Amino acid sequence: MNNLYRLFTQQKAIVAIAVILLVMVAAGGDVSRIFFSSYNLLDMLNSSTILVILGLGVTLTVIAGGCDLSIGGILVVSGILSIQLQNFMPMPLALVLAVLFGTLVGFFNGFLVVQQKTEPFIITLGVGLLLTGVAQQLSDAHPVPANNPDFMNISNGYQFGDGQFTEGHFPGIPNLVIIMLICFVFFAWLIRYTSFGRNLYAIGGDYDVARYSGINVVANKWMTLVISGTMSALGGVLLSSKLNTGSAIYGDFTALVVNCGVVVGGTSFAGGVGGIWQSVLGLLLFGLLDNAMNVLNIPSWYQMMLKGTVIVAILWMDSYTQKRKRELV
Amino acid sequence: MNKVGFILKDYLVLLMILGLALVTAIIQPKFISPANLNNIMRQFGPLILVALGMTFVIVGGFIDLSVAGTINLVAVVTITLIDPLGQVGALVAGLVIGSICGAINAGLILTSGATTQAEALFITFGMSTVYSSLALIYSGGSTFHFWDLKEMPNMFEAIGAGSVGPLSVSFVIFLGALALLWIFHTKMAAGRAISLTGGNKTAARLSGVPIERSIVLIYTIAGFMAALGAIVLFSRVTTASPVIGAGFETNAILAVVVGGTTLKGGKGSVLRTVMGVLLVILLNNCLNLLGVSSYMQWAARGAILVFAIWLDNRKEVQGNQL
Amino acid sequence: MDTAGSEIILSIREVTKSFPGVRALNGVSIDVRRGMVHGVVGENGAGKSTLMKILSGVYKKDTGTIVFDGKTIDHTTPYESMHRGLAIIYQELNLVNSMSVGENIFLGRFKEMKGMRGTHAKARELLDSIGCKVSTTKLVSELSVSTKQMVEISKALSFQSKLIIMDEPSTSLTGEEMSLLVKIIHQLKAQGISIIYISHKLEEIFDFCDVVTVMRDGNVIDTKPRGEFSRDELITKMVGRTIENEYPERSRQVGETLMEVKGINTRKLHDVSFTLRKGEILGLVGLVGAGRTETVRAVFGADRVRGHKVSIGGKPVTIHNPKQAKDAGLGLIPEDRKLQGLVLPFSVEQNISMASIDRFTRFGFLIKSLEKGIGARHVKSLGIKTPNTKVAIKNLSGGNQQKCIVGRWMEIGPSIFIMDEPTKGIDVGAKYEIYLLMKQIAEKGGAVILISSELPEVLNMSNRVLTIYDGRITGEFDPEHIPADVIMRAALGLGGAS
Repeated sequence: MNNLYRLFTQQKAIVAIAVILLVMVAAGGDVSRIFFSSYNLLDMLNSSTILVILGLGVTLTVIAGGCDLSIGGILVVSGILSIQLQNFMPMPLALVLAVLFGTLVGFFNGFLVVQQKTEPFIITLGVGLLLTGVAQQLSDAHPVPANNPDFMNISNGYQFGDGQFTEGHFPGIPNLVIIMLICFVFFAWLIRYTSFGRNLYAIGGDYDVARYSGINVVANKWMTLVISGTMSALGGVLLSSKLNTGSAIYGDFTALVVNCGVVVGGTSFAGGVGGIWQSVLGLLLFGLLDNAMNVLNIPSWYQMMLKGTVIVAILWMDSYTQKRKRELV
Repeated sequence: MNKVGFILKDYLVLLMILGLALVTAIIQPKFISPANLNNIMRQFGPLILVALGMTFVIVGGFIDLSVAGTINLVAVVTITLIDPLGQVGALVAGLVIGSICGAINAGLILTSGATTQAEALFITFGMSTVYSSLALIYSGGSTFHFWDLKEMPNMFEAIGAGSVGPLSVSFVIFLGALALLWIFHTKMAAGRAISLTGGNKTAARLSGVPIERSIVLIYTIAGFMAALGAIVLFSRVTTASPVIGAGFETNAILAVVVGGTTLKGGKGSVLRTVMGVLLVILLNNCLNLLGVSSYMQWAARGAILVFAIWLDNRKEVQGNQL
Repeated sequence: MDTAGSEIILSIREVTKSFPGVRALNGVSIDVRRGMVHGVVGENGAGKSTLMKILSGVYKKDTGTIVFDGKTIDHTTPYESMHRGLAIIYQELNLVNSMSVGENIFLGRFKEMKGMRGTHAKARELLDSIGCKVSTTKLVSELSVSTKQMVEISKALSFQSKLIIMDEPSTSLTGEEMSLLVKIIHQLKAQGISIIYISHKLEEIFDFCDVVTVMRDGNVIDTKPRGEFSRDELITKMVGRTIENEYPERSRQVGETLMEVKGINTRKLHDVSFTLRKGEILGLVGLVGAGRTETVRAVFGADRVRGHKVSIGGKPVTIHNPKQAKDAGLGLIPEDRKLQGLVLPFSVEQNISMASIDRFTRFGFLIKSLEKGIGARHVKSLGIKTPNTKVAIKNLSGGNQQKCIVGRWMEIGPSIFIMDEPTKGIDVGAKYEIYLLMKQIAEKGGAVILISSELPEVLNMSNRVLTIYDGRITGEFDPEHIPADVIMRAALGLGGAS
């Protein structure tokens, strides 16, 4: 019984994924067929990519003991900027600036959280809200259409194939997935093989011990927010490319989903634990959940409620395991 | 510098916004017109009620991001209950639903053993989604209007637009709520328990102060006030949509923080929140008259929230070094 | 054992250190020689850990000189200290629980070690050199205390430490693990590394220390080669003589049993039981971490402890939380007033009244005039120095803050008053007032449970003393008639005479 409990709390993501897969198998008939089709699986992967890209940066902040709730706001502003700036300059420059915007915001976040020692959860929330307003301003609350096929191709193009899903014909891999994989590999390397990455575990695990060991806790923590901001901006640009529009509506829920996905995968808000593989697993869970709900034709509001419930349940479990740990000591 | 600087920081945001008001008055003389002032007073209703409830949660050392969802849910449910239950029945039902939403929040926080504001933030943020989706499911996405009902709900109409002498009904409701809550907070034992819980939970617990009961109270009050705010809100506009509550949590927290109640808990008061709401409304009004777009206003509020939180943090950091 | 002749690796001269209200070190001078195991003994508050923290850079000394390995050290940081070759292994262990053994040894030096592979390889080497077989990839959280110590020692070795300070290393070790530690200590000694060994366990001191320093009240009492000390002499010097006239005369009206506690069992405590009698002051004597605070917290319902039985006045009572404790007539002055006792931003009045809110509440409403009366009454009777009762309590001095907490409970007038370090950081005059208060409580038919790190205080105030060692009650004494050495011995877990 104890082992089952441990499995449940430590490998929440795997258990949840297993449950969903079981449900999809049990649903049988058309539902199962559609769900497990290559088209759908690829589509699922495709739609998880943005969450994963955001999650990579957030993971760093959470490992170091903080969090970043401004990612939604950065996402939408950068997304809109990436399209609007193309009216004034060549596309590559526009994209670079859009991403740099995220870096700048990350730097500002770092200043507030690390240098000024403000609570990260609430101040990044505030920054996110501020940016959502800015995004609405920039877009005049209408989706901003892009009209550059090259831009659209960034996310939607395929490599090693032509994107056609016909019998016996390999469609290729979407650019977006490739970009995600590259980022994934980079971050997985970063977290395990660089001193920066290892130091983050120390900082999140025991701030004072890390400090006494000569680790520059301030600079490192600051950096996590800079990286998180940059990745959010990157995600925003790629999302705009994928949808071929920039819109302000994707911001609000995203911050919650991504932070939660990271936690469910095993990177606890307590800090010092978790990793890239775990976070990705947690985020894929949400992608899986979304997809499964769509295939099951669950109406969108019920999806929202289900997702909200899952999120609360996950957070509740995270707090509960913290409590249990405290009582054992 | 210290003594003066300290006081300055306490009222910095107040001074900033008053400064803005001054500038607006100069640039746009319309600002001081009776029509505008009436406009300002009108806006006092829903936000102040929600913010008063939020004050208790923050003074208790926690936070509540679910008020938007509660407002959505209460609005659509109440209006649809007017026909079957009658106006009074629907009103009571709405208030009860809001209180239950708050109690659920408290229950989740207590059972999970969450002790920090961060944990409460995430859990209530999640519940906001749940409540909002319930509102959407219940209403089927539609908006309900007063004129769809069997007969015009005169009580609710009065709440929305009626007057009692020179004062609007909603203002009277506000005054009544303010008085009751102020008395509760400053003059009743349960109110003192809430302040102590936020001030130092450990010391309070060791002194026998009822911590769990206080947590249930703060969230239930917040839920109740959100419901009351929802009712005044939809009475004003005579329609209830399942997204009517959007943005209220931000504005409420902003009002509380700008008013000077610290996010760390313990110290704070409903009177300060009133000032905070006044300032937020003033801010919105000024920006409107100055021709700032509504989106930039949102951004401006976000900026002020960030600034106010930063300022609040500096005060605490410095204060504890005494 | 030839101790003269080997060179001095660490020279401490006339070091003083004061904290607000207390002088922790009073002109301490010690010489530590190369390749020697230098034991340091002293009871709680003697100044041992303060001195060690100054050496390792956590604290800054006020005056005095420290010369390590030929270099004068002024202000330093833990990081610099480690790199200089002075390592310290704390009782609380300075490891990151969520990371692996290998990474902990080389925390912050990932690049130097050329990544994961180099880190684990070198860690393996170091662990093998002291005979520790644990895998370098195992998480520290999964290790026993003994193995964690090995990891810390390996860490010290990785810096080529010349001096390793071990602070109470044997508290949680089994006999077998202790032998392993001793073996390693001899090994380190053979390599020319000096060890400062802080411990209460006199067998260890006499077993493998070459030189012993005795500290008391921030002073070095004596430093001699181990062979020149007898056990009794050591204990006497640790404890010193108690000065009678600092304390009021004991009240002698001890009556029948007031409270009985049976069978407290937690992770730390083993079957703790005791009785408390009317009119008595019961002192709990033990080392830091022995379980005194855990015991009183369990009785007070402050921790989730179940399974023990408490009866008051012959009738069984249920105390599962502080409110029930209060109702049963208990009061608690907590160990750390800042974190557990004071609501800093609130006023003096509100801090004093917070445990007795029921007393000035009618139909749910607070009667402010009554509250004011409560505040004024205790400010007066306890001599609390404050401009008025509306002032924020954070502005008061430590001693006055503590008095407010005392006043908080005096208002309830509990029959059983638990005081955990009640006079910590308070000036002598205020201390005496609190002693009188304790006596008053006892004389009025109540009882006091007193925990204090100051042995003279406990011994002079208590009618009866219980010694606690390693979570168990090891003895019950009458401090008026039994010498302090005997009591100390029981508190150190030693039985009988040496």
